[in-house]
Amino acid sequence: MANKNTHTVSRRDFLKTSALAGCGAVVATHFDFARDLIARVEAGELTQAEAYELLKAENTLYSVCLNCNTGCGIKVKILDGVAVKIDGNPYNPFNLHPHLEMKTAPGEAVKLDAGLCPKGQAGHQGAYDPYRVTRVLKRAGRRGENKWISIPFAQAIDEIVDGGILFAQVPGEATRQVTGLKELYALTDAKAFEEMGKDVAALRKKKSEERAAAVSEFKTKHAASLAALIDPEHPDFGPKNNQFVYFWGRKKGGRSNFAAAFTGSFGTANTHGHTTVCQGSLYFACKAMSEQYVGNSFKDGQKFYWQADQENSEYILFVGANLFDGNYGPTNRAMRMTQRMADGKLTMTVLDPRCTKLAAKAQRWVPVLPGTDAAFAMGMTRWILENKKYDAKFLACCNKAEATAIKELTWSNGPWLVKLDKEGKPGKFLRAQEVGLKAAEKRTDKDGKEFDFEYLVAIREGQPVAFDPNDDKEAVVGELFVDTVLKDADGKEIKVKSSLQLMLETAKEKTLAEYATLCGTDAATIEAVAREFTSFGKKACVDVHRGPAQHTNGFYNIASFMNLNLLIGNFDWKGGMIAASTFNIDGTSSSTDKQPFNFKKIGPKGLKTFGTSIIRHDVKYEESTLFAGKESYPAKRNWWPISSDVYEEILPSIADGYPYQAKVAFSYMGAPTYSLPAGHTQIAALLDLDKLPLYIASDIVIGPTSMYADYIIPDLHFLERWEFQGSHPNMPVRIQPVRQPVIASPNEVVTVFGEEQPISYETFWLALAEKFGFKGFGKNGFGEGQDFTRPDDFYLRMVANIALDRKESVADASQEEIDLFLQSRRHLPKNVFDAERWQKIAGPAWPKVVTVLNRGGRFDSQEVTYKGEQAANKYGKQINLYQEKTAGCKDAFTGKSYYGLARYVPVADTLGVEPTKLAEGYPLHLITQRDVRHTKARTITMPYLTDLMPENGIILHTSDAKKLGVKTGDQVKVVSATNTEGVWDLGNGNKKAMIGKVQVTETIRPGVVTFTLGHGHWDSGAVDVTIDGKTVKGDKNRAGGVHANAAMWVDPHLKNTCMIDKVGGSVSFYDTRIKLIKV
Amino acid sequence: MDNEDILVVMQRDLERALQKPDKDRRWAMLIDLRKCVGCHACTVGCVSENKLPPGMYYRPVHEYEQGEYPKVSRTFLPRPCMQCDKPPCVAACPVKGKGGATWKETRGLGAGIVMIDYGQCIGCGACVPACPYDARTMDEGRFHGEGTPAVQKYLSKASFEYGKKWERSGSNQPIGNARKCHFCVHRLAAGQLPVCITTCIGRSGYFGDLNDPQSLIAQVKKANKVQTLKPAKGTAPRVYYVANEKLEVLYGK
Repeated sequence: MANKNTHTVSRRDFLKTSALAGCGAVVATHFDFARDLIARVEAGELTQAEAYELLKAENTLYSVCLNCNTGCGIKVKILDGVAVKIDGNPYNPFNLHPHLEMKTAPGEAVKLDAGLCPKGQAGHQGAYDPYRVTRVLKRAGRRGENKWISIPFAQAIDEIVDGGILFAQVPGEATRQVTGLKELYALTDAKAFEEMGKDVAALRKKKSEERAAAVSEFKTKHAASLAALIDPEHPDFGPKNNQFVYFWGRKKGGRSNFAAAFTGSFGTANTHGHTTVCQGSLYFACKAMSEQYVGNSFKDGQKFYWQADQENSEYILFVGANLFDGNYGPTNRAMRMTQRMADGKLTMTVLDPRCTKLAAKAQRWVPVLPGTDAAFAMGMTRWILENKKYDAKFLACCNKAEATAIKELTWSNGPWLVKLDKEGKPGKFLRAQEVGLKAAEKRTDKDGKEFDFEYLVAIREGQPVAFDPNDDKEAVVGELFVDTVLKDADGKEIKVKSSLQLMLETAKEKTLAEYATLCGTDAATIEAVAREFTSFGKKACVDVHRGPAQHTNGFYNIASFMNLNLLIGNFDWKGGMIAASTFNIDGTSSSTDKQPFNFKKIGPKGLKTFGTSIIRHDVKYEESTLFAGKESYPAKRNWWPISSDVYEEILPSIADGYPYQAKVAFSYMGAPTYSLPAGHTQIAALLDLDKLPLYIASDIVIGPTSMYADYIIPDLHFLERWEFQGSHPNMPVRIQPVRQPVIASPNEVVTVFGEEQPISYETFWLALAEKFGFKGFGKNGFGEGQDFTRPDDFYLRMVANIALDRKESVADASQEEIDLFLQSRRHLPKNVFDAERWQKIAGPAWPKVVTVLNRGGRFDSQEVTYKGEQAANKYGKQINLYQEKTAGCKDAFTGKSYYGLARYVPVADTLGVEPTKLAEGYPLHLITQRDVRHTKARTITMPYLTDLMPENGIILHTSDAKKLGVKTGDQVKVVSATNTEGVWDLGNGNKKAMIGKVQVTETIRPGVVTFTLGHGHWDSGAVDVTIDGKTVKGDKNRAGGVHANAAMWVDPHLKNTCMIDKVGGSVSFYDTRIKLIKV
Repeated sequence: MDNEDILVVMQRDLERALQKPDKDRRWAMLIDLRKCVGCHACTVGCVSENKLPPGMYYRPVHEYEQGEYPKVSRTFLPRPCMQCDKPPCVAACPVKGKGGATWKETRGLGAGIVMIDYGQCIGCGACVPACPYDARTMDEGRFHGEGTPAVQKYLSKASFEYGKKWERSGSNQPIGNARKCHFCVHRLAAGQLPVCITTCIGRSGYFGDLNDPQSLIAQVKKANKVQTLKPAKGTAPRVYYVANEKLEVLYGK
């Protein structure tokens, strides 16, 4: 009998538990289950095991979820070393609002379980997945054939570094020589890196006709190092080191720094994230808006974005943002809004082709046509400008001094004058010296370095006035709408307009009715929304996300909506648009000098990497050695002067060998084959042994992309490891959630730098560094007596930095808390947790480190989150309405300059052709969506989630279903002009049809079809694999549903990549037209 | 109260309620559908807390859509056990009398909750169709992750339903028994709110002692027009709803 009581605990022990639980005397009943627990202890009936063990502080560890990128706080409950239940962390403002103060003792906090979405609650299921990879797997068949052998970790490191004939046993590869990393570590001298890098930068500044001479000059000067270059004829490609390409999917703070320590030492410029598959054009449009005027040009833009301060907003226009299913994220945003929604204190309009869960709660749902978002925004812009419903006082600010004078924390460039060319096209902002108003100056920066400063110009009371946008002393206001002609020193006329004038003229390109027709609504709706938006002062927001971003016109869609926020000047205001703020991890905080570990000083000194990246980011095509003048248009692939982390470019660029050949690729927690539109093109790139000779993946399972790897290096599940989650822009509180090991890993334990550790992402980097003998790693890596031989050496120091960031550090943990800290980690093996070792690493900061780890991070108080009516954690800088830097970049396909201002741009392919031909015969518009129960590639392994949602469906409107003659439950195949077969070509003759079950609904715009992401897997345990000659049977539950990304359009010019936003980098998720074929 | 999460407020309400004699206490749940965002956190939280097998949900969330494009509405309706004051499931159970298999508890911590004694339940399943809310399910002994190479570690760890440890293996109880929501009585005993309440990201769930006029649930119930599910069945539920929609239209009379 499983439930027989055999052991008893003393009354004293029980009372302790009871006091923790805060439950007092409870009255007895006849029913033994629910009888008074105290009475049962007294009667000697209660075993210790029968007390509610999940309530004990010593069975509780706080960490951070990673089942989606929101990264909510989690409270992991552990029995006998096994994570059995996950709830929300009440210390973390992502879970409780307001959250508990840091001063609350863990023993007291343990009573409170806070909110957490269903994915978060299933987190431990990923850790205990029987399909985890726990030893290094090496490919034993063709790529993607699912045949593996497990090999010793050290062997994998040797083979990856040394190269050679590595796959002799695989048919067709008997003689295939594979280049190892050793050969790519070609340029090793730091000085050579620095000098060549400088000269490459100079080379880029040459005119294209002067470039040949400059290249030969370069070759003469660097003759000794030329052999280390990829191609001496193209020094701008950089050293062979760049042929090692490292890319990642979901990676956060700490792990980023760890990888950078290695890749910096190795000297590759090819380190790329995945931003553009998520909402790259949102990030890069906001980066463009945040570029600051420094000296005489714009730089230091932040790759970030703003979101609404939803707990204080009175009106929010949500565009393509479904916070109740995704969007950073359901847990933190819902709890800040629902009561105010119910009380009528928050009014919402939702623009989305689907009546999302959010739209279902909104006062107004506007089912716009996908890809036409900017038409709606520009219509609103026109109405707001023509009806003068903007914040004129805010917009008149030319500089910081004026902003400060009117109590604004930000200011725009609305009144600044922009020069026009002969055709009237806007270019650069007018500099004061150009009209003889005020001479340029030499200034010195805070490091004593001299720089050129040029004043800008606005019109004040009819006269031009020079100003410095960052000057905090002399306040300057400018006229908002200016269209005039000024004269230069020679009396030559210069046509100028203010940014706002340009905005007005751009908005007036179409009438409200025309805009309404474009986006599939009516002018009255645009006007009504514009009126509402401008009726709540600064407590109104436009909050945008993937919806408008993931189109070929994403950049301008985003800019057009973000500019609306500028028109009402809501940035940094309570209830307005806010930015994320975090505690610093790497010891370089400017707000304190108490952080103990400055990684810029103690960490490995990286090389100054140089050269064009394989995705050609942060560089202009016209400045490359591949550009020989106008005849060089169109470029083979895009160049990305204002975007980076362009995920869809990495593998197809490698496959194209453009601009050069890569030799080794390593991916971390990435699934481009599954996540990207037209993901089958990514598979094709991975299957090409010639173009990608060696591919290594870090993963916890044989995933949709790692299955194409030559080696899979097992990683730790997020419950087994470290990371610093950072924050998201909707979070007004300054935070730094800490992901930390809460359970042991099943991975093989190996020895690196003499230290035992389960194989992980970090172990891989460390082992490579050990083999290369890189300085800054290993014994005394961080300095005398400061080893860098294990993950905890790195991360505990960062935790110490978090604890000591800002003016006030966190409090020291009491002895009782330190005891609890040790007790609650009693189940962790020494190769993960070693109290003595950890204390030594942290040094004097140890009691503060304990305070942070006992709470799953550091979280500022809600009390200090606002200063009066403004955000305490402010953005506090200038925001561009007109983007000079953007206007200074050219389209690599057409050679035309990018437009510097938000406007409506139709969806088009890379050559600028609207896809009407591709759409012919394909009447339905395909989009995608999230369901809160699943995250793209990684939740299919979790039975709680798959049982609740075993499959997704092809969701379409009743009228479309009627036309097709289908009803809910019928099966249909998804086909498009670029995937007429409607299949995933998985390689090796293996094809998976895109067939899903129809779900008919009234909650979607007719003509639009959607499916939720996360199903339709061919990986992660969904199919049989062979390891060491034995078959591991797949679980059919993991193959449920449909994944229709392969139907998404392939760009007609690129041919091996989905359609893209050439400016902001986003992939086109929502532009494809399809047809559904009844099966 | 504006400055506190309602979870903190209800936690305090609960601690106050636990000090009271059982006769003075009336456990109840209220769900404000205006605040439910259809996330299913309660559903999964409950599965995890109570180690429910595949296909068994103590608290599913039903989804409804009404109207025609573009004038549509969507409603999410979490459905725990109603802990009826007149429970038809109890009437249907053949194991009656003192020490029966299921009953409406009248005393102690669990007073007001419809209980199942897994030891007494004969697994006949008669109670299942008797419930107008489908709140009861037979435990057929299945495991999450069936069909994978191994049973996940945590699945064999105990659940704590009714304040006991239930290790799930073989034919151990509650395998073969009827099972249902019990307002997480084991958590109440430990001074914690039911997990569906604590995990709710929209804070749509309320739990506490309706007899305590200071309690949040009592205040919310008083301030709003509440509905119950299938009032015509005369089951006198202890679960109340606040909704803009007429629930009998969605859920039946």
